[in-house]
Amino acid sequence: MNDTSAGGGPEQPAAHESDAVLGAVGRLEVMVSGIPGARIAADVVPGDFADVWLVMGDLEGGFGRFQPDMRDLRVTHREGERVTAYARSRFGFRARLHGVVRPGWCWLQSRFLVIGMAAEPLPDGTPGTRVALTGGVRVPGRAAIVPVGAERELHRALTRLRTELAATPAGGTDPTPYD
Amino acid sequence: MISAVSDERTADQTPSAARADPGADRHAETRARGIELAGQARRGDTIAMNDLLDHLIPYVASICNPIALSSRQDAVQETLVAVFRALRSLDRPDALYAWVRSIAVREAVRIARRDARDIPVEPADFTASGTTAVTAELGSGHSRGHGHDHGTSSHDPHLAADIADVLARLSPEHRAVLVLRDVEGLDEREAAALLGVPEGTVKSRLHRARAGFRRMWTR
Repeated sequence: MNDTSAGGGPEQPAAHESDAVLGAVGRLEVMVSGIPGARIAADVVPGDFADVWLVMGDLEGGFGRFQPDMRDLRVTHREGERVTAYARSRFGFRARLHGVVRPGWCWLQSRFLVIGMAAEPLPDGTPGTRVALTGGVRVPGRAAIVPVGAERELHRALTRLRTELAATPAGGTDPTPYD
Repeated sequence: MISAVSDERTADQTPSAARADPGADRHAETRARGIELAGQARRGDTIAMNDLLDHLIPYVASICNPIALSSRQDAVQETLVAVFRALRSLDRPDALYAWVRSIAVREAVRIARRDARDIPVEPADFTASGTTAVTAELGSGHSRGHGHDHGTSSHDPHLAADIADVLARLSPEHRAVLVLRDVEGLDEREAAALLGVPEGTVKSRLHRARAGFRRMWTR
């Protein structure tokens, strides 16, 4: 079973006060502006924000299923919104990710990877959730992304997210067991 | 190379009020944290960039809100995009706040002018941050000059709406002078350098802005 104290499931910290000033997608756009090579893929997906984030923010479950090259991910430490995780790609690469996860916002980095995700409700109660993704292969140790193929991968991830959301009933599923 | 406005008297060094203010130490610690994060972000740490963003949003909002009013969210975002895009070229992280302040004022005035035809303000949607500071400073008659107690002040929606209504009747340039002089604590020379106008222009704008604000406020 998951260690829910460390896992990426429902136990999540509260939103940051700054999220009320600048929405999560706006924050992601700011981050991307400071990272050469970074691209952003955004879309509106069906479903309430809470249900969408239940998938996106579930690092050991839904997250690994819609991020194209992620085979599995294990959260090893969580303190408030700070997380450390070990990820394994489908090609066998391993990464020690660390960063921040809170409702509507995820920013993780390793020496060779950057992953950024944002989600926010549509204004005025309009059905659906706005989501945005960024990241890719990091120029080692630098705030820069190798741009080749980055945008294509982000759009692939968005497509897979839509599929994952369609397969997930409202209210989510139990966290995926980690072996 | 990007340098901050001519004075490197960041708010930490602002006049006597800072020395007498029991909140000055906490304020200095907050500023030191921002400068540390900026240094780490410039060296390529994207987590530090994330933390710097959290750190700067309240400060940028405190400047943009009373200038850009109903366009404040755009002004905050445009400011932060400009800051993050140019962060690597900030060769002196200790000048972070003066540099961010100059960008925030410039962007807030630009966005407010761009959207001027779209105003009126929606008072019910207005947050008190920044505008209450303007009122407090105008009321107290002196500059505090060392920032704000972000997010901790109580929020009176009626007061905020009244302040927003009065501020909305001033031009963006007059609101900018009020913020720089009465909230950020810059003197006329420093405000003039930041706004790119002669010192005499700042003095006359300030006089008109204060007089206009007080007249409208007490009406």
